[in-house]
Amino acid sequence: MQNIIETRGLEKTFGSNGTAVHALRGIDLTVARGEFVALVGPSGSGKSTLMAIIGCLDSPTGGTYALDGVSVERLSGAALARTRNEKIGFVFQSYNLLPKASIVRNVELPLLYAGLGRKERRRRALELLEKVGIPEKANVLPAVLSGGQRQRVAIARALANTPALLLADEPTGALDSKTGEEVLGLFKELHRQGNTVVLVTHDPHIAALAERKVELRDGLVVTPEQQAA
Amino acid sequence: MLSGAFRERLFEAWVEIRENLGRSSLQAIGVILGVASVLGGFSISDSQRRRADERWMKLGGMDRLMVQQATAVKDGTPTALQNANLGLRNEDALEGGGLDTKSLDGVSQQKRVRARVRSAHADQDRPVTGIDGDYLPLNGYGVEKGRAFSAEELSEGRAVALLGAEAAATFFPTGDPVGQTIRVGDVPVTVVGIFGEKIFRWRDNQGNQFAWRNRVICLPASLVARRMNGDKWQRVDTVSFRIRDLSVMEKFSEGLGALLRGNHRQQEDFRMDDIAKRVRKRQSQGDVYNIIFMLSGILSLIGGGMVNVNIQMATLKDRVREVGVKMAIGASGREIFKGFMTEALLVTGLGSAVGLLGGVLFSKFITSFLEIPLFMKPASFAWAFFLATAFGFVFALYPAWKASRLSPMEALRYE
Repeated sequence: MQNIIETRGLEKTFGSNGTAVHALRGIDLTVARGEFVALVGPSGSGKSTLMAIIGCLDSPTGGTYALDGVSVERLSGAALARTRNEKIGFVFQSYNLLPKASIVRNVELPLLYAGLGRKERRRRALELLEKVGIPEKANVLPAVLSGGQRQRVAIARALANTPALLLADEPTGALDSKTGEEVLGLFKELHRQGNTVVLVTHDPHIAALAERKVELRDGLVVTPEQQAA
Repeated sequence: MLSGAFRERLFEAWVEIRENLGRSSLQAIGVILGVASVLGGFSISDSQRRRADERWMKLGGMDRLMVQQATAVKDGTPTALQNANLGLRNEDALEGGGLDTKSLDGVSQQKRVRARVRSAHADQDRPVTGIDGDYLPLNGYGVEKGRAFSAEELSEGRAVALLGAEAAATFFPTGDPVGQTIRVGDVPVTVVGIFGEKIFRWRDNQGNQFAWRNRVICLPASLVARRMNGDKWQRVDTVSFRIRDLSVMEKFSEGLGALLRGNHRQQEDFRMDDIAKRVRKRQSQGDVYNIIFMLSGILSLIGGGMVNVNIQMATLKDRVREVGVKMAIGASGREIFKGFMTEALLVTGLGSAVGLLGGVLFSKFITSFLEIPLFMKPASFAWAFFLATAFGFVFALYPAWKASRLSPMEALRYE
């Protein structure tokens, strides 16, 4: 099976020599297609930085990273934007919907950047809203939706271009436990349908839902032996 | 048909503007003022010029070349040669008329004299004009009552007269002046026709600027020369030529100048006055006003542009996160740049539309205040719009560039 994520000795250093902060110190991480991985670690462990690099929002300062078989660590800003558009679906803790655009338009946006025609976009967006269970809210603004509904919209948006990787950053962090459960259920369902999911969280209960847990500490992946210790 | 991506950007820009109406209006103010000032300024000066042109057309058109007597010596004592020069004469008109018969559309001469004019009702000292050739059409006169002079009356110097409307009313307050007799100096002349009344006002409440034209008393030039103020050289005061095609005017006036200098023993004792040239010169003075209006418009556009940059930079802070989200779901820096540019240009476009409307109202107000008819050229609209768009574009570049250069990760984390 082909690996969706494959990093070797991934490093990220912020700042210059004197005040340099080594956020990542050589991460080797492999996520296979169809896996459901939870990325856990305390704050300051480097998991946000790793997520940003995995999500092609940032470039590493060292090491290699292949996303879906394509090496991306040297790509230009425009190429990274295209990669994010085609291969990655983001789900954020704070939903990050555009407040002035209708729900359906929010979902359409990645399709627009991908260059799809208007009718096709609309058709696909409505299909996705159906899939996440809120087809009737297509033409309202995000502000009128509940948190859980907003996160469903965000998931629909993340799925728009059938990405190779679904990257969720504390997706239930802003939800009450009941809606959180529902959203996590949706992730599990998506995983069951064959999507690759990487979920960043600090909550061990949520991490327990994943097939595999990758723990980060001080910019390094904690090995199973260390975990046992 | 608009491309899909552009239409989407336009829609998004429109939503952004609609949602931030106050801010967008502020941004548009500079554009509105600039456009209104350029359009208004141009239109007011165009209306003024159009009015001036109308006046010349009523005076018999701009396509005339007038030759007048002038002194050959500006200062000092004239030489014997200068003393002996013969002045502007009948033969100048005749020879000049034969110079280029193809492009020439009329020749006239005038011989002026002051005389005591008497009728049964009035007795006044008046300027009297001896006319010849195509004087009436060349000076925009039309006979309203009676008839014009016949060729025979002109060549033989018969004792006939044409009166302006005011002159007719003064000398014959009652009854029909046509067929009556007036005495001009010692000569009894028969009135054969009356000119239509000439009226021209710069503004509606002004007096008639053409009142003097209603006071004219015209006699055949040959009669004036023979009986009132003649000499053996048959001198005249003004010779006018009409050349319909302004492009050959230059060539004709050169040829005429050479001919006249030859006739006048190489003395420049005449002055050639090309009406079209004079009007053009006056219009070029009007250009100065246009430049001033344009400059004030540009200053307002620059001021507005600065305000726009400031507002855009300030609002960019509120929109960093939005930019980050768009980038995260696949918008390139270029896409962000285009989005911001579209928004700024849409503000400029809408501002321009309002500004054009403002300019029309402004010009209407000023011209109605000046009481001249409003005349607007499409070119003025184009200029105003072009300037606004050009400045809008330039000032939109920096904020848009700044937004497009945001790092997606930092933009997403921005609080």
